[in-house]
Amino acid sequence: MCEGDSSRRPPWLAYLEHTADAGIEVRAASAAELYARAAWGMFSLLTDPARVRPAESWPVRVTAPDRETLMVRWLSALNVRHQTERRLFGAFEVQECSATELRATVRGEPFDPARHGLHGEIKAVTYHMLAVAETEGGWLARVLFDV
Amino acid sequence: MDRHDLKRIGEAAWEIPRAGAMRVPARIYATEEMLGDIFADQAPQQAANVAQLPGIVAASLAMPDMHWGYGFPIGGVAAFDLADGVISPGGVGYDINCGVRLMASNVTRAEAAPRLEDLVRALCARVPTGVGSSGAMEVGDAELRRIAVQGARWARARGLGDDDDLRHIEEGGCMPDADPDAVSEQAWKRARPQVATLGSGNHFLEVGYVDEVYDAAAANAFGLFPGQVTVMIHCGSRGFGHQICDDFLQTMDRAARKYGIALPDRQLACAPVGSPEGAQYLGAMRCAVNYAFANRQAIAHGVREVFASILSRESAAELRTVYEVAHNIAKIESHDVGGAARRLCVHRKGATRAFAGERPEIPDDYRAVGQPVLVPGDMGRCSYVLTGTARAMAETFGSACHGAGRRMSRKRAIKEARGRNIARELAGRGIVVLAHDRLTLSEEMPEAYKDVSQVVNACETAGLSRRTARIRPLGCIKG
Repeated sequence: MCEGDSSRRPPWLAYLEHTADAGIEVRAASAAELYARAAWGMFSLLTDPARVRPAESWPVRVTAPDRETLMVRWLSALNVRHQTERRLFGAFEVQECSATELRATVRGEPFDPARHGLHGEIKAVTYHMLAVAETEGGWLARVLFDV
Repeated sequence: MDRHDLKRIGEAAWEIPRAGAMRVPARIYATEEMLGDIFADQAPQQAANVAQLPGIVAASLAMPDMHWGYGFPIGGVAAFDLADGVISPGGVGYDINCGVRLMASNVTRAEAAPRLEDLVRALCARVPTGVGSSGAMEVGDAELRRIAVQGARWARARGLGDDDDLRHIEEGGCMPDADPDAVSEQAWKRARPQVATLGSGNHFLEVGYVDEVYDAAAANAFGLFPGQVTVMIHCGSRGFGHQICDDFLQTMDRAARKYGIALPDRQLACAPVGSPEGAQYLGAMRCAVNYAFANRQAIAHGVREVFASILSRESAAELRTVYEVAHNIAKIESHDVGGAARRLCVHRKGATRAFAGERPEIPDDYRAVGQPVLVPGDMGRCSYVLTGTARAMAETFGSACHGAGRRMSRKRAIKEARGRNIARELAGRGIVVLAHDRLTLSEEMPEAYKDVSQVVNACETAGLSRRTARIRPLGCIKG
């Protein structure tokens, strides 16, 4: 479960510098936690996820041929829902996560300009420098976004 | 790769000689002093990677505003043979048909000055930007398909423009052979709420004025005169194009393996132009191209209405489209290669078509001077109107630069803008700037960009375009 409790950047998240775009590097103890934190990290580029109330929940299921593509499809699914349904997400619970399938419940609410700041848009989750790996110190993901 | 790998071939032209798996050389257009910035990232290596793709013709080209992109560099131009060449979504980019429209009014800067702030505020209220905005057009499924097939003609049919607008848009505002059946459900879903919205990031709507004319004959043909108030619209195909690119990167990833195409970078995924996957991508891409044409036409109509309400009806009637260019696109074009006419699939990613006067694709009224090439800079300095040249036809498949290119990462720009009020600084220089959030203004501050004048000078030195006029900003809306 990832539901950041503060507007400050959590220690497991780093923002990457890139001339034209935005990126995140996320660390976690398990693959499930890694995917949940990556989603939180992505929404933290757009808004303060800690201010998003978990008023509604949606089940999400994505499949992919490998872990990297699974990350792109998971984050893309959430970004598309955000854009098409004008919703923000702030809590992400990944129940199952293999190399090729992810099942999760995400919580959030409709975007409310009075309560939520919204900074720009993510055009796409890219494959550039994409990494999802189990390292000696735990799981690591690096994702760049076209913004 | 570093500067020492370059061979100088002209005053503002350099070659990365063919080596290893490269099928052709790569050619970079830039002045010597720009090379430091250019080699600060991996863009030259990306230009060399593109030179490895099957069927590439003549050279992998990079314009003076080149910088790092996904797979292909931004500022990249690559033409492929229709028989043995490829088509690549990475050679077009996520924001398919991101482009620029320039409109010219009959109002002078002095006449507009007393109402400038009202004008910019009214434009900001009228033109929706991104996810957080409302007021975009409601369209149903059937109408969305019409937009994808008809482009700006759809907007014209709805009364959001006229035939003169269509004549002054690249492709007449409608690319033929768009295939709505090649577009995914997800892409349609993203398209629906975003018709006639500007988007965010570097997209903008800018009120400016012509402050210098360099080429009186060309400026006259384009109807530009010193002091004239102008409007520039920079946006693209929104989530629709992003999703189509995303969908086809996956299709092309499989296709590249199927057709045995070796890729130096996964984001160069491609398929033969004539393959089913290639044809499908072209059909879907053209839907996004048309969506972007429709989008800019609908926004332009809103701008006209605001001009009418804030200034006068007479001036609004003459807020005329000078031209509209696409700078992320792939097109089948005829070019002279080594004395023979060949049909090629030309990818321009962050590059503008810059055709010389004789080409039939150019509107009749510009045929004597060449195509207008619109090159926006940053919100504090200036933008340019250039003209296409015969040299560009001979060397770059009729292509030139598209903008300034970022100098700073967004994060660094925000850091450097801390403690400053960018809007107030620009107001002190007579420029009204509005954005939906303060961070966007920091990210987009003038210093975050390279100097567009340097880019334009390099293009002119290389002979790829001629300066026609310079436009200074008066007011800018950022998404």
